[in-house]
Amino acid sequence: MNAPAAALDLADIPERIQSEVQRAIQRSIKGVEYIASSGPALGSTPKDILHVRGTMNLYHYRPIADEIYRVPILIVMATTNRGYILDMVPGQSFIEFLLKRGYDVYMLDWTAPRPEEKSLRMEDYVLDFIPDCVRRVQQDSGETDVTVIGYCFGGVLSLLYGSIFNDGPMKNLICFTTPVDFREMKLFQNFSDRRYFDVDRLVDSVGNVPPEMILSSFDMLRPASRVVGQIQLWENIWNDEFVKSYRMFDRWATDTLPLAGEYFRSITKDLMWDNKLFNGTMSVGGRAADIANIKVPILHAVAEHDHIVPYDAAKHLIQKVGSADKQEVMLKGGHVSLVAGANAIKRLWPKLDSWLCERST
Amino acid sequence: MADKSNDPVAMWQNMIGEMEKGFNSFANKAMESPEFSKVVNQVGGVTAGAQKQLGELMEKYLVSMNLPSRAQMVSMAERLQSIEGQLNEIKALLHQVHSNSAAPGGGYPAAPRPPRTRRPPSAGGEQK
Repeated sequence: MNAPAAALDLADIPERIQSEVQRAIQRSIKGVEYIASSGPALGSTPKDILHVRGTMNLYHYRPIADEIYRVPILIVMATTNRGYILDMVPGQSFIEFLLKRGYDVYMLDWTAPRPEEKSLRMEDYVLDFIPDCVRRVQQDSGETDVTVIGYCFGGVLSLLYGSIFNDGPMKNLICFTTPVDFREMKLFQNFSDRRYFDVDRLVDSVGNVPPEMILSSFDMLRPASRVVGQIQLWENIWNDEFVKSYRMFDRWATDTLPLAGEYFRSITKDLMWDNKLFNGTMSVGGRAADIANIKVPILHAVAEHDHIVPYDAAKHLIQKVGSADKQEVMLKGGHVSLVAGANAIKRLWPKLDSWLCERST
Repeated sequence: MADKSNDPVAMWQNMIGEMEKGFNSFANKAMESPEFSKVVNQVGGVTAGAQKQLGELMEKYLVSMNLPSRAQMVSMAERLQSIEGQLNEIKALLHQVHSNSAAPGGGYPAAPRPPRTRRPPSAGGEQK
């Protein structure tokens, strides 16, 4: 230790103690406020509900710009989580960002499938829900072309849709953290090891797969993180911005959706066990779904520290699609911070805008 | 500003961060083993079966107490959802009719949608 540094530390001690005492007082006050108050309102960008059919919801966000790009965007959300991760609060909303940049935005979001929707299959999602939404977007916007953005498993559904309906009307495809090689999702592979995991028994007994099961499988990937998150919340509870951000992400992360039973059975058998998307042998409702058939411009954004979809599971997407205009971009961040929060505002959103604006006229 | 290496708060935060990484990494290694998968799936299978049986038992109990069961509440929620869905359909239809009747003399015009003429900044479009 050098002398000037030690002297500086000593001089700082009273100030540091004062700051820590103030924070301790603030923690007590804010801690009570935290318990007594509800979190910020999420997903509040003005929108119209264009269509609702069971688990499927199609929204249209009201344009903000005076002049918009010709090609509308349809966002396909992951079936395990709610779409408001992309529309947190003003200033931190991907949807608001797109609207301000002049895009016309629609979202295919999901609600919990009802008990009688346990029979929904992969083909209902790929051959019915997405094409139905695309048709409604075309009808509402008056445009034939549509850009599709898929997040996580929404990306997988978009890839399957794009590989079957490869002659249009999808004009561009953007995937966020989308797995293709399911062997590389090591922990999920182990959780669903076919020697021990009886998916038929599970689906036959519970119908829809409960959200608690989905949430615990996500939590198990980083078992210490929830406890550490609580410690960090207590340490930073004096900091309103930290608390707001914590509440937004925590609420979203725990707002997990159940999965329709037959759909889950198909994910387990076709993707987790047989890795059909990677092998090029996937079919949906008897129709071949090889991603090599996708020819439209495609952008795949992956996160450097993604613990849910590791890079090894996602890296083959760009290699395997048949598009001439294709690009993978790896950005700092994790599975969620890639698309939402301060990291996304700085990195992904501007990158996406610069790529998409050229292809939206 | 205090030297981070001497700051007890920074040291504590660093320690927590390292502990989190270490524990997550250790647990992930343990969870990669086939034994873990076997145990988890055995327990999970038993729990799912037990949950189903308990659910059926509760259903019978609630019926005998003349109380609504979960299935009945879910059915009510479904009916409400269906009504909400139909309301949304009506709203969308009204919105469409309203937009179509925006011609002069057709009442209040609907808010016009912005033109789809935007150009990217590189093509001379303005970034607003």
